[in-house]
Amino acid sequence: MQERKTYHSICRMCGSGCGVDVEVENNRIVKVSGNEENDINRGRICIKGSSAATWLNLPERLRKPLKKTANGFVEIPLEQAMDEIAAKMKELQDTYGKQAVAGWKGEGTGFNQNEQLMRRFNRAIGSPNYFSNNTQCNNSRYEAFYLNYGCWPQADFRHTKLAIFWGTNSPAAHSFWTQDLNEGRDRGARSIVIDTKYNEQAHIADLFVIVRPGSDAVLAYGIIHRMIERGVVNQEYVDTFTLGYDKLKVYAERFTGEYVEKITGVKPEVIETIVDMIQAAGRQVCSWPGTGVEHQANGVSNSRVCSLVDALVGAIDVSGGMLINENMKTNSLVLGDDVPVEGEPIGKSVYPVVDYFKKESHTLMLMDTILTGKYEGRDYPFKGLIMTAADPVMTEANTAKTIQALSSLELFVVKDLFLTKTAELADYVIPAACNYARDELYFNGMEQSVYLAEKVVEEPLQTEYEFLKGLADRLGAGQYFPWKNEREVIEYMIEPSGFTYEDLQKYPSGLRTVLVHYHKPEERLAKGEKPFPTPTGKIEICSTVLEQFGYPGIPTIDHLPDCILQKDEEYPYICMTGARKIPYFHGRYRNIPQILKAHPHAEAEMHEADAEDLGLKEGDMIRVTSRVGSIEIPVHIMKHDTIARSAVQITHGWENANANYLTDDSDRDPISGFPNLKTFGIRIEKL
Amino acid sequence: MKAITIDQKKCVGCRNCEMACAYEKSQETCEVMFSNIRVSDYVGRGFVVPMTCFHCTEAWCMKMCPAHAITRDPETNAVIINPNRCAGCKMCILSCPYGNIHFDHVHMVSHKCDLCGGKPRCVTHCISGALRYEEVGSDGLRYRKDVLPEETRG
Repeated sequence: MQERKTYHSICRMCGSGCGVDVEVENNRIVKVSGNEENDINRGRICIKGSSAATWLNLPERLRKPLKKTANGFVEIPLEQAMDEIAAKMKELQDTYGKQAVAGWKGEGTGFNQNEQLMRRFNRAIGSPNYFSNNTQCNNSRYEAFYLNYGCWPQADFRHTKLAIFWGTNSPAAHSFWTQDLNEGRDRGARSIVIDTKYNEQAHIADLFVIVRPGSDAVLAYGIIHRMIERGVVNQEYVDTFTLGYDKLKVYAERFTGEYVEKITGVKPEVIETIVDMIQAAGRQVCSWPGTGVEHQANGVSNSRVCSLVDALVGAIDVSGGMLINENMKTNSLVLGDDVPVEGEPIGKSVYPVVDYFKKESHTLMLMDTILTGKYEGRDYPFKGLIMTAADPVMTEANTAKTIQALSSLELFVVKDLFLTKTAELADYVIPAACNYARDELYFNGMEQSVYLAEKVVEEPLQTEYEFLKGLADRLGAGQYFPWKNEREVIEYMIEPSGFTYEDLQKYPSGLRTVLVHYHKPEERLAKGEKPFPTPTGKIEICSTVLEQFGYPGIPTIDHLPDCILQKDEEYPYICMTGARKIPYFHGRYRNIPQILKAHPHAEAEMHEADAEDLGLKEGDMIRVTSRVGSIEIPVHIMKHDTIARSAVQITHGWENANANYLTDDSDRDPISGFPNLKTFGIRIEKL
Repeated sequence: MKAITIDQKKCVGCRNCEMACAYEKSQETCEVMFSNIRVSDYVGRGFVVPMTCFHCTEAWCMKMCPAHAITRDPETNAVIINPNRCAGCKMCILSCPYGNIHFDHVHMVSHKCDLCGGKPRCVTHCISGALRYEEVGSDGLRYRKDVLPEETRG
């Protein structure tokens, strides 16, 4: 019998970063369980996490590099693939300019370290662009939090008195938050879930409020309006630490009970109950905007205003509120402006706030640029894309356009664990080493702890670092990748912290880098320093950054979906995509056999009264058509008023019912450029 | 004595426990019919609870089984069905007052929780903390102070 060894590492089946025990036998992962010593998830993980033992050992795992020929994919040696890819990249950059080629970072094999490496690579080869799915998910809230606070605060659910969840379902998205909130509930915390649909989170809520799609921020303003009228705002805190409260007060006046009920469907007495609960919680409030509110036409404003509910009671950087977290000092892998690039980043001139905070190019505009050869009317040849473990055919808004654009590239390289729908379009497919075959530095913001997401198996496959270094070496940019392996990368990154690689190995369940302490803004103010890392040093309710770029400074709700104001006769139902399901993560894991057996197909979730109007029974096939495209999908009927009327939810990630054939890449939030994935009109036909 | 305890008010109905149990036992599928723990979600009433075998001190299933297929594991205290002895008569299913024994229509035998030999997979997949595998007193109840809010504890 082979010896079985157990290693501590970090799970990468979603982005949450739970600590895991990985049991390895004969260099093969045989079991994955929660690590009891890890303070993030305390021994508990979800089915995705433990299913890594199946997923990573599937016979379909890519093992050999593939090159597309007239007869389909053929296997070629890795060195040949690397040489050919590098030669083509050089040819394209010499012919069309440095901007013609760039890398796109996916999430299949690592965390932030891979992002930093890809940013470094792009700059090293002279490209002004860096792409990732973040311009369609997450960045909107990043911008919202940075506009408000100059940083992204962390919710302290373990000690809160009131958690408000806006369009988020943490059991599916951040599983350990559920445990955190339940610990808080043991100490008397209450919670409110505001969503278009009854979800797992709502099961433990003291109050579940159903809103019409796209109207969350109207309800948030309705709450703020009543907080102001009833004197629930912490006036001393607001006067000391915020900028622009008076403007917010004036703007909030239009959100009367009558107006809010008309738009959201929420009755004034429910708002009174919410304000009562906020008042009872003092400063221990976490008002958390989820992905649901950022995928809307007012995505950044929605996230900002939902997040301000806790700021107005002074719940920032207090125990049980929103922690302003501190990190140890590290060296960033991202290269500075001293390394020259050619051309302008795609999206910067249209969405300058994205560039200001994130320096990230816009993937939806990239598709148009590839197809037209122009960016904002200016010639912009973009010919080569290097993509690591991303699957935009499943996840990018407007699948038909995405396929057309990616298919028309002169060089498309995909490095992934499996032959995804996106990889099928590639000229070269390079097999990727999984997260458990490489080391990565991982940081948790709430614990303020650092972890080594440790390598536990040897795979004869290339890591992303080896891939990018290999290309950079061949392209004459090798000086930017001086480290032999990822261990040396990590040693470089942690060098200013005073910790060593051996320290990380010695504490595989986490090393607290900076002890959590609160009231830092008050301390900074007393020392004459800026309390918050915004330009004015205050919580910018009225953002000076937005004003600098010509936007209104306070969060404004300018683009209520047409379907909310008036029923569209041609597209009478409101489609929402993107609600996560427990066993899946975006486009991934439909190839895990045991999970697929339990959750075998996509569903269009709708209210039972709507189904009755359409003459639909559970499981009936329907055709869903938007202005962009059409899919066929079975119906799931939601009983007991667990979804808003006229709303239809379709989770993305299914090949045979890909919701992104319906979504519109041109209907975007004006600040972040995020696509509106939550409120677009559809019609439904029974098949 | 250790047992799986259920703090119903913490359950979110995520069904990770069901999926984990089904896979642990079948090594093939996460489908609920292969699971020994079952989540009942009464959506209209806002009530959800996972149910699994209590390994009763006085186990009626064990007394009823005409094939003597049900025994108690002396190490874990688990009441266990031996599928090789089980005749598929379903008497145990009828005798369980809690509905915690299920029938495998492929192998024609009853199946129930066996505490995974002392490392119950449902508990380690309970992301909400509703399920615990913990020492319990002889009366099987968790100490009252553990479930009451801090300020009300004596």
